Amino acid sequence: MRSGRAALELLGPVALVAGAGILGAFVSQTTEIYFVTALISVATVVAIYVFVGNSGVLSFGHISFFAVGVWAAGVLSVPEQEKPATMPYLFDFLSSTTVGNVPSLLIAAAVGGVFAFLVGLPLMRLSGLAAGIATFAVLGITNNILRYYEKIGPGLNTFSSVPETTDLLQATVGALLVVVAAFAYQRSRLGRQLRATREDPAAARAVGVSIYRQRLASFALSGFLAGFAGGLYIHFIPINVDAVYLDLTFITLAMLVIGGTTSLWGAVVGALFVSALDSVLAEMEDGMTLLGRTIDLPSGSRIVVVSAVMALVLIVRPGGLTGGRELSLPRLRPAVAK
Amino acid sequence: MSDFLRDALDLQVQVDAIGLGAIFALMAVGIGLVFGVMRLVNFAYGQLIMAGAFALAFASDRDWPVGVGIALCFAVVLALSLAMERVVFRPLRTQSAAVMLVATFAVAFLLQSIALLWFGPLGKTATSLVQLNRPVSVGSVDIRKITVVAIVTAAVCLVLLVALLNRTSIGLHMRAAAIDSQTARLLGVRANLVSTVSVLIAGVLAAVVAVMLTVQFPTVTPTFALQETILVLAGVVVGGMTRLLSATLGGFLIGYVSGLLGGALPSSQSQYLPSFVFGLVILVLLLRPDGLFTRGRGLVERV
Amino acid sequence: MSSLELRDLEVAYGGVPAVRGLSLTVAAGEIVGLIGPNGAGKSTTLHAIMGLVPASAGDIRLADRSLRGRPPEAIARSGIALVPEGRRLFAELTVDENLRLGLAARPRGAMTGDEIEEIAQLFPIVEEFRQRPAGALSGGQQQQLAIARALVARPSILLLDEPSLGLAPQVVDLVFSTLRTIAERGIGVLLVEQRAQRTVALAARTHVLANGELRLTLTPDDAADTDRMVAAYLS
Repeated sequence: MRSGRAALELLGPVALVAGAGILGAFVSQTTEIYFVTALISVATVVAIYVFVGNSGVLSFGHISFFAVGVWAAGVLSVPEQEKPATMPYLFDFLSSTTVGNVPSLLIAAAVGGVFAFLVGLPLMRLSGLAAGIATFAVLGITNNILRYYEKIGPGLNTFSSVPETTDLLQATVGALLVVVAAFAYQRSRLGRQLRATREDPAAARAVGVSIYRQRLASFALSGFLAGFAGGLYIHFIPINVDAVYLDLTFITLAMLVIGGTTSLWGAVVGALFVSALDSVLAEMEDGMTLLGRTIDLPSGSRIVVVSAVMALVLIVRPGGLTGGRELSLPRLRPAVAK
Repeated sequence: MSDFLRDALDLQVQVDAIGLGAIFALMAVGIGLVFGVMRLVNFAYGQLIMAGAFALAFASDRDWPVGVGIALCFAVVLALSLAMERVVFRPLRTQSAAVMLVATFAVAFLLQSIALLWFGPLGKTATSLVQLNRPVSVGSVDIRKITVVAIVTAAVCLVLLVALLNRTSIGLHMRAAAIDSQTARLLGVRANLVSTVSVLIAGVLAAVVAVMLTVQFPTVTPTFALQETILVLAGVVVGGMTRLLSATLGGFLIGYVSGLLGGALPSSQSQYLPSFVFGLVILVLLLRPDGLFTRGRGLVERV
Repeated sequence: MSSLELRDLEVAYGGVPAVRGLSLTVAAGEIVGLIGPNGAGKSTTLHAIMGLVPASAGDIRLADRSLRGRPPEAIARSGIALVPEGRRLFAELTVDENLRLGLAARPRGAMTGDEIEEIAQLFPIVEEFRQRPAGALSGGQQQQLAIARALVARPSILLLDEPSLGLAPQVVDLVFSTLRTIAERGIGVLLVEQRAQRTVALAARTHVLANGELRLTLTPDDAADTDRMVAAYLS
């Protein structure tokens, strides 16, 4: 691929993310929250895309890695004296360790990556429906353990006193880092080999590509990035264990599907589009004036709309908004000489 | 441990566990039938049951007679099932099973969020059939009427279904479509008709389950039957999705075991039960993907 | 009884043409052969007729009505039956159930006694193995069952995809003579085969397909002249 095309492939998503970040600087405090959420969503959805988009294998489990990142960053960031308030039963080494912002993000990423690698070791042999069900089971197990195992976190309590270091700048930088990482991966030899297995598994195998290994590598990277996104999230808003379970799995999957599962551009567009839609609907739920009329949607309409759009996209335009393709310039056709 | 065994073997607990197993078995049939014929795992099956339960609550709110409530329940569930089949399942028939799973996932959330919007998180109560939840003393055991009803109804439904599958031509068409749908179509089997019939049967079963569950759990919330559906799905996968019998057995067993553990284990020890169940699902998918109770064809593609 | 006509049929798999500009007719009561090397597009032609793959151009007509674009079950119901490659029987279902499935293409209900007699005359295994699972039959018996199943639907046109595959010579004899009987009853037969010589000897016309195109049409007189056929394959 010529470097011009490649540059555009990266530039599109980067521009969109940076643009969102810049735009967010000009809005009010309350509106800024939507922007930060949107940017963290980009990081999360791109992390999921790194595996699902490149391998063509469904995964319901990525929010487990996100959750694990939340836990790791959260538990280690809460100041020592605050820990017993919500997390009285922690392991000693956890209760006595406190790290700063950036280290907590790195640890979150590392934990996410290692967890994903361990989960992937057995699971990457599966495809299709079985992969979907197995990863859903992983999600269930993770949620169950995080919910009740109080030695590693707050269990059912809400995380509180986590330093709120994810502001607009950190969210933007974080999202950009994830986008660049995803781009670097998909352009690398590893990424290309994995994409080959998606298009034509038999041919890929014939030229010596190990489907299992490529998927495992991608899954681990994907978990690493998802863990990182989780770290970003917990530094933004206090959450509890149910906030990183089915609802979040649904909305991030919806973002990927609506944007276009098989491209980075699709992942970014999907995340931003659905976040924007979600924010507008949230405003309408609070009572919004549009063109002189007040719109007051009942609370909870948001998921109705998003799920309806997701189902519609799957039925009518399975490639999503972007058709699953990267951003590219329309080709100029040479004039045909007669 | 001996405490647990003693509690588990208690006749009361046994009977209740069998009753729960019967209900789960019906749900498993609903899920397994649609999967067998259409290769589709309907994630939204639990929401069908929820819709039926809300219909019952709706009728009970207005003090309508029990029969009307049940009729409304069936009407709502069947209408919703047909709508799902037409709008979602049929257009996606050519897609992979994974895409269909994601689509039903979206539908599940759609239905749940509509219910949340309409009825709020606290839901409604369906009290019309509550007298079935009262026990009748048989010897040393108090058997709730609903347990007997559940077991009998499940048995009757299963017998009827087996008769339909084995003795009618539509049943033959459904069995053939489950084995090899392309060849079945070549012979003239109407794919749309077969899909619709299996979805309708699954809908009838969902409505039956809705009635039986509301007797035991009269409070109907948007997440009604969600936990049970996930457990039944796990049971179906573990039992074996490709065969109706093994799927039903898997569903029954997981209901029975849940009932036993629920009745005999103190709650502090049953916290990690979901993890065990999910872990079992993963193990089965890796080691015996056709399920524990089948010796069948592969559903699972492996690399 | 109606005739089947293909007019300039084109079938492509994802942009790659598998069949190009194929025209042929099968009239009631005649056997038409379709032979050629592997990958020539013979099976694809049959699949296109049955609506399993879409035709990208041209037309498929039965009794002068177009079948293009209709789903497989509708085409089966209009009177064309396919005996697929590898027979594709339902091994776990009984012989009787497999036959009853053939009825799916009929507009009205169950087989009457007379019809079963007819089929039983052609295929003795039907009575003998009626309640046994189809998987218990030998290869040759399964082939007979597959043809019987197709005939139950009383088709006007019978398509067969390599019925002699994996069968012993005596069984092939039986299958081919059965096809003659079927044609005598007024059914048009389109026979896709690997066994070139026998097909040419049996069929009224045999078309040679290579690379998706019709190269040559042979008649039974050519059965002895193998040079011409070899030339056709190599061209």
